[in-house]
Amino acid sequence: MWASLSGRIKTLYDPKQRGVESDLNEVSEKFTVQGGDFASVGKASTAMKSALEMIGIPSAVTRRVSIIAYEAEMNLVIHAGGGIIQYSVFPDRIEITAEDNGPGIEDIELAMEEGYSTASDEIRELGFGAGMGLSNIKRNSDDLKIDSIPEEGTSLLAVVLLES
Amino acid sequence: MRVIDGCIQIIDELCVDCGECIRKCPTKAITMNEDDWDLIHSIGETVVASDPVFYVQMSNYSGQSLVKEGLGYWNITDISEIMGTAFDLAAYSVARILEEEGKQNLPLISTYCPAVLRLVETNFPELLGRIAPVDSPLEVGVALWKKMTDRKDKVTLLAPCPAKITLVHNPEGRETSNIDFSVSVGKLVKALLAGGPKVKGNFPEVTNNRWLEWAGSGGEAEHIARFSKRPLKTISVSGMQNTIDVLKEMELGRLRGIDFIECRICEMGCIGGIGNAESRFLSKLRLKNMKTNWQLNDKETEELKEWHKTDIWRLKKELKPSQREPLSDDLNEAMQKLKEMNRIYSELPQINCGSCGRPSCKAMAEDIIRGQGEVSDCIFKIRENIRELGKEIVELSEKMPHTMRRKDL
Repeated sequence: MWASLSGRIKTLYDPKQRGVESDLNEVSEKFTVQGGDFASVGKASTAMKSALEMIGIPSAVTRRVSIIAYEAEMNLVIHAGGGIIQYSVFPDRIEITAEDNGPGIEDIELAMEEGYSTASDEIRELGFGAGMGLSNIKRNSDDLKIDSIPEEGTSLLAVVLLES
Repeated sequence: MRVIDGCIQIIDELCVDCGECIRKCPTKAITMNEDDWDLIHSIGETVVASDPVFYVQMSNYSGQSLVKEGLGYWNITDISEIMGTAFDLAAYSVARILEEEGKQNLPLISTYCPAVLRLVETNFPELLGRIAPVDSPLEVGVALWKKMTDRKDKVTLLAPCPAKITLVHNPEGRETSNIDFSVSVGKLVKALLAGGPKVKGNFPEVTNNRWLEWAGSGGEAEHIARFSKRPLKTISVSGMQNTIDVLKEMELGRLRGIDFIECRICEMGCIGGIGNAESRFLSKLRLKNMKTNWQLNDKETEELKEWHKTDIWRLKKELKPSQREPLSDDLNEAMQKLKEMNRIYSELPQINCGSCGRPSCKAMAEDIIRGQGEVSDCIFKIRENIRELGKEIVELSEKMPHTMRRKDL
């Protein structure tokens, strides 16, 4: 279902520009998130945390990645009807991508504002949809790129540098 | 935990002293690392500092004065009154810190459960800065007693769980403990119930019973809230899973606006500790029926303020993360190993049967990568191998050398 999405985001960084020889050593893992499945929110971010700890990523970086992944998962569950989320570790950075075939974001800048949310009352009653998701992602990323086409879907790429 | 050569081995850096292994062991082969009470008590007068749990364990010795009287017959001195002051001091100190701390540094996490501290050190190092810098009142109580009475006796802690037993010999947040020995609450409770003297109620009931509320989940948070000048938002959870979940939520920044989090590894709080004798449900009932006196008298208030000035309540040493070593010090190599680990894991049955002596297939994949195991430790993988081998043998057996005339020709 989401196969058509892969490749929509081109990586933000050209490894050569950053003085890193190649990105061949990358480790990545992909998770599928189902729409409306609140119970399994956090699965991807927990798996990421344990993987990053295993390879010795500093805990402060790991925490930022977990927060980004968690909020992105939450957005997929609340707004997008599910999607895929992936993390990739490069020698100098960690990239988190989230892609979906959801309704898209009409005004990305507005969506980034703290407290802005289009979540339904039902979701707010569950204690979610406070309009903090994207602004939280932005606060914890060193770089963030969001592509969205209304009625087609959204892709998000967040970058956390290992040494910032 | 791993089973190697038929014996349980505990990975020290990952153990949080929660006591679950003791609770779950079907043959009760695992026991608490407590000191020898008979030896401690054989010396003569014995001074004990009891966990609040102790006072809700027995119906006929319910409350501090009856326990004091009962223990007195056996030449045991219970320092409960001073312990009460220490718990007041801890709650008072946390309340003062919560008043001063900026909203961005809240919530703070309780220091009372040593297993929670160990869990934060091993799994949530980013939350170490959020541990309330207030020492365990069990420690502070003994320090206060030594200061107030000028006595040098050895003090034994009656502890409800392995985490607090460990606290004495391997303390968190301080170099050395003020306490000398630790024995489980259950040990003394059983002795008292089996051959305890009849108590007549010779002592007046102690007025401070606030600190006994700490035996159940939520008691500490309530105590702190009573001492706070502003209304507090606190969360109290008990049990391993709830504790992990609430810390996860906190790490993800989802608990903004909360002031204080009280976590206890044991379900229902310390009354659920594995070192107790009494049913946790009956203990809970006794706590509920207790008429808690939340009101401090003038003398108590004055005393509290004086002790607060001394810093005796403060955590003595910064808590340090204690995580497992990464797969390699070199990031590239570690990433290669992680990839390999994920590959190994993807080929395992992933049903966490435990037959390899490890808690999960994930743990097995990690052990293999760390050079502490082989894929053939898995009974399903070895069966696959045997099947392959069997096929090969059959194939080989059919390949007769051409020297002999084949029967089927």
